[in-house]
Amino acid sequence: MGSDFFQWASEVLDPKKAFLKPEALKGIRVLELCTLIFGPVVPDWLSEFGAEVIKVELPGMGDTMRYVTPYGFFWKNISPAFQEQNHNKYHVGLDVRTPEGKELFLDLARRCDVVVENLRAGTMDKWGIGYRDLLEVNPRIIYLANNGFGQWGPFAHGRPSYDAIAQSVSGLMAVSGFPGRPPLKSGVWIGDFTGGCMSAVAVLAALYYREKTGKGQYIEFSQGENLMRWLDWTWLYAHFTGKNRPQAGNRDLAICPADIVRCKDGYVAIAAFSEEEFKGLCEAMGKSELARDPRFSDPLERLKEENAAVVLEAVREWAREKTVREIDELGAQYGFASSPVLDAKAQYESEHWRARGAVWEYNDPIYGTMVEWGPAPKLSETPGRVKWGARPVGVDNEHVFIRVLGLAPSRLKELEEKGTIGKWVDRVGQKPPEDWDGESGLFYP
Amino acid sequence: MVDKTRPWEEWIREHDDPEHTLEKPEAMDDLVVLDVSYGNMAGLFTSSILSEFGAFVIKVEPPQGDLARKFTPYGLLCKDTGLGYLNEGRNKYHVTLNLKTEEGREIYKELAAKADVVIETFKPGEADEMGIGFRQLKDLNPGLVYCAIHTYGQFGPEAEKNRKKPDYDVVDQARCGIPAVTGEPDDPDIPEEVRAPTKQGNWMGWYAGGCWAAFGIITALLWRFKSGKGQFIDMAPPEGEAKFCDYHIQWYHQAKRLRGRVGPYDSAVFPYTFVKTSDGVCFISGFSDVNWAHLCNIMNKPEVKDMFPTIFDRLNPENQPKIHHIIEEWSARLTSKELEEVVMKHNLEPDAVGVVATAKVNWPLDALGEDHWWIRKTFTRIEDPNYGELLLVNPAANKMTETPPRLKWACRPVGADNLFVYKKFLGYGPARLEELKSKGVI
Repeated sequence: MGSDFFQWASEVLDPKKAFLKPEALKGIRVLELCTLIFGPVVPDWLSEFGAEVIKVELPGMGDTMRYVTPYGFFWKNISPAFQEQNHNKYHVGLDVRTPEGKELFLDLARRCDVVVENLRAGTMDKWGIGYRDLLEVNPRIIYLANNGFGQWGPFAHGRPSYDAIAQSVSGLMAVSGFPGRPPLKSGVWIGDFTGGCMSAVAVLAALYYREKTGKGQYIEFSQGENLMRWLDWTWLYAHFTGKNRPQAGNRDLAICPADIVRCKDGYVAIAAFSEEEFKGLCEAMGKSELARDPRFSDPLERLKEENAAVVLEAVREWAREKTVREIDELGAQYGFASSPVLDAKAQYESEHWRARGAVWEYNDPIYGTMVEWGPAPKLSETPGRVKWGARPVGVDNEHVFIRVLGLAPSRLKELEEKGTIGKWVDRVGQKPPEDWDGESGLFYP
Repeated sequence: MVDKTRPWEEWIREHDDPEHTLEKPEAMDDLVVLDVSYGNMAGLFTSSILSEFGAFVIKVEPPQGDLARKFTPYGLLCKDTGLGYLNEGRNKYHVTLNLKTEEGREIYKELAAKADVVIETFKPGEADEMGIGFRQLKDLNPGLVYCAIHTYGQFGPEAEKNRKKPDYDVVDQARCGIPAVTGEPDDPDIPEEVRAPTKQGNWMGWYAGGCWAAFGIITALLWRFKSGKGQFIDMAPPEGEAKFCDYHIQWYHQAKRLRGRVGPYDSAVFPYTFVKTSDGVCFISGFSDVNWAHLCNIMNKPEVKDMFPTIFDRLNPENQPKIHHIIEEWSARLTSKELEEVVMKHNLEPDAVGVVATAKVNWPLDALGEDHWWIRKTFTRIEDPNYGELLLVNPAANKMTETPPRLKWACRPVGADNLFVYKKFLGYGPARLEELKSKGVI
């Protein structure tokens, strides 16, 4: 035991063997009527563990996210920001606002286990494909509705939301950033992804319950409420002190020292809270006397502002004369937490992230070699996997309508002529790459 | 038959208002979870989520208490416990057990033999070395779902190299890629010390890790229904939070480009920023063409629309500050409340084509002052026999029609449930507990 642990773990968790193993969510079919991130990311993450996802988009336009991209950049006619939350899906172009489109959607819902939407409250109901309509055709359905303010309550009525709305209303933006500076918006659309992650957990819990009882249910999920749940001690602090949690920059007001500090050649994160970790850090700094000082030896004493200030200043002063690498290696040697601040380049090039399948390279049937994030939790028996990436609007119409619903090809043609179903038009963001041969990567015929 | 005659908002509220939560069953109340995490909010959040869905969670602490009980702003304590742990001690049974003694490890194995899930945050390989890792426990309990949480994960070149390092939120955040693109830009007008990669104010790294761990655990439990088999789950919080990093890895692959820190701006959607109002700050968006046109109408500045006609004109880094300035000329004359109202009035007009989203940037006390969240039971005040009256936030998914997750009790002092748990699971009476206590095992 012990010595061969890493060898064992790298074998049972080897991402290269993922395709040799079963999928936990095999047989779960998810119907997606979503745009942007907060909706689409839920089916995406379920698909990594085996769920089959049918993504419904508006013909000739598709998900709005197809046109969101850094500084107008497109790669092979697709936006990387659209790719991020769309993998392993079947892309269908279907206008659910037409009478026949609505019927097709209900037919798909009959054959699905989970439906996910992120429209404004009441929209699906208005279109005749709301939860009550779906219950009639599929009593076992699990229905997830993701939005900003929920389906009811004073702010819910017609009020739109984005990630940053959730960041604003929850208090996250106000408690981030340096003291005295404006509220700090996250550099990423964090209100969407965090809400997506927790609402996916709610879907899994509902699947668990359905496995035992056969009962489906409706899940109403607000991204603002979710960020509030993630704000840890913020509310208890308001309760006990009557005060707002202050901005603290990179330091952690509840753990000391824990900070991101400037070195000679960049920034490094450092944390050492337990007596042993703090002792290790002080030794590495050549200041063992700090660990013996009664103001600092006990973690709770160290958290008092006057003591924390001294410790943090000592760490900053020491770090200024060191390189990132020196400090990171001292962390490994002395047992305190440390790491460089990684950017996408560092992650992309990291042997560690690649070996773990956290950075996942695959060969896409339409787009060729792609690199994206791999599944987050690494499971030994039923590991997640990326099979293919985002696809053009409606590219899987034949696959889904013929193989899942059993429609005749002539019927598809008819529906296409009426505009009920459709594919991409000649617009960047939704069409295949320019050099696409019209066949490669199609799942049908 | 489903009643479709009533308005949707009314019908769904009747079915999912947390007012009725206690009348409903719990999704996962057949599960026993052992949380043996130490000094780690990711582990505590994972077990909180499972407990909110009904699991019987036993939180195992060393006899002197979990280090996480000391994670608290300025050292503020409520009785024996800091605010971080007080918030995530919810719904759990708190027992002590000294895993540094052989007897403690034996008792732990007996508990694990009866558990469905184990959550741990030891350093990689440490539990295995102590003889209580997955490899040892799976022989006693083949259906066990075992989740290990640590910054570097359980394998890969850096996991072994950094095996002495503890897992902390600030490091998890630093590694995930978000601080590299968050913070104020390198603008000489901004004080130098704040022009830095900046973390989120909360424990975002740990909470991301905890949420993903719960995702992995329930996925594994669904597999167990089919196969009867448990499994090992390796959850590295930075990899969980990296999943929240927009398109950065794809863009780097395709263009070899990186985003910098852009403060209140955005590299892919604009306007999508916050603006000054007469009494605070509001976030406002209007980035697609129709929504941009809608925003220009609301501002009553139709001429501005054609100054920046396409998404790409608005994304131009040189134009972003100009657009920001134009919006602020309008917003600064309104209070945040007035701004919210005028935007919603336009959004709800029957002929409105676009949609503009806006919200006041709330401080925590502002959020607590808004009725919406209280009506929806986002927050709750509960009376705790030990910690007194507390203000806590409810589970985010607490509006589920059949099995809403719930908050039942807040926290318990160190070892408060020793008697109950050891009696219920292992049959120990007071005499045996006394003996274990004298030996320093509990």
